[in-house]
Amino acid sequence: MFVLDDLLFRPFVGIIDALHTIALDELYDVEALEDDLKENQLLYELGERSEAAYQRRKEELEAELETARDVHERLASGRVEVKR
Amino acid sequence: MTNRYVYGIVDGDTVEFETEAVAGAERVYTISHRRLGAVVSDIDTTDPEETDEDAQRHDDVLREIMDCDGGTTVVPMQFGMAFEGDRELKNVLRGARPAFRRAMTDIEGRFELGLKLVREDDADVDREAIEDEVADRLGPIAAQSVANDLFSDRLVLNRSYLVDRNEREAFDDAVADFEDDRDDLMVRYTGPFAPYSFVDVKIGAQ
Repeated sequence: MFVLDDLLFRPFVGIIDALHTIALDELYDVEALEDDLKENQLLYELGERSEAAYQRRKEELEAELETARDVHERLASGRVEVKR
Repeated sequence: MTNRYVYGIVDGDTVEFETEAVAGAERVYTISHRRLGAVVSDIDTTDPEETDEDAQRHDDVLREIMDCDGGTTVVPMQFGMAFEGDRELKNVLRGARPAFRRAMTDIEGRFELGLKLVREDDADVDREAIEDEVADRLGPIAAQSVANDLFSDRLVLNRSYLVDRNEREAFDDAVADFEDDRDDLMVRYTGPFAPYSFVDVKIGAQ
């Protein structure tokens, strides 16, 4: 029975893993964060964002980017375990 | 500090000056092989960390090289090219010689200028019409241009232009005229830079 369950549910487990990876990709989107950093810089250079607001946003984004890169590195190395 | 950090490749071996260089170095000089010169400074690693400060110094040094002797053509390297020693660097100059020569011919007497057009926060603009207008006004003056990444929803246009030194004033005027005519756009006009966007020489650092 265990074998049957395993065979029946394995495809769904695979789908859940894939969905989880997609969700992580969206949550920790390195490219989008890099774009936000560039936009922050551009709006500051154009005078639309104050230096204080620019610095604050830059620090936030850099911290998020570091986390995102770390998550992707762990995903690539298989060190992130999907818990169910 | 026996490693060499490379900024760009020039014709000859005459570039040498004191400046604030990458990783705290204070002098930039040339290591050459058969009249092809790599402009370098000393560094204690072959894997430099790209900090904002050092990325800015890399760009600043390239601009200083461009200003040497009333205008020096330099094939720019991306940030981070460092070699263990002179021998390794000369091997690269030897191996990539044809590519460097081709790149140098393409950019001789020219530099790069950047143009970003940003719409006002609530403005609704016709991106295609703006692209066409910019192409009509600036295209004939520039030697080449390339589109860059539109990394923000508010960016309407992001292009780099390769412009002859003697066309600089005409290009500046054309950009200024465009800016005067468009109240709905903010203009970010930058440069001159070493023509990063117009050379495609890839070398392996060691």
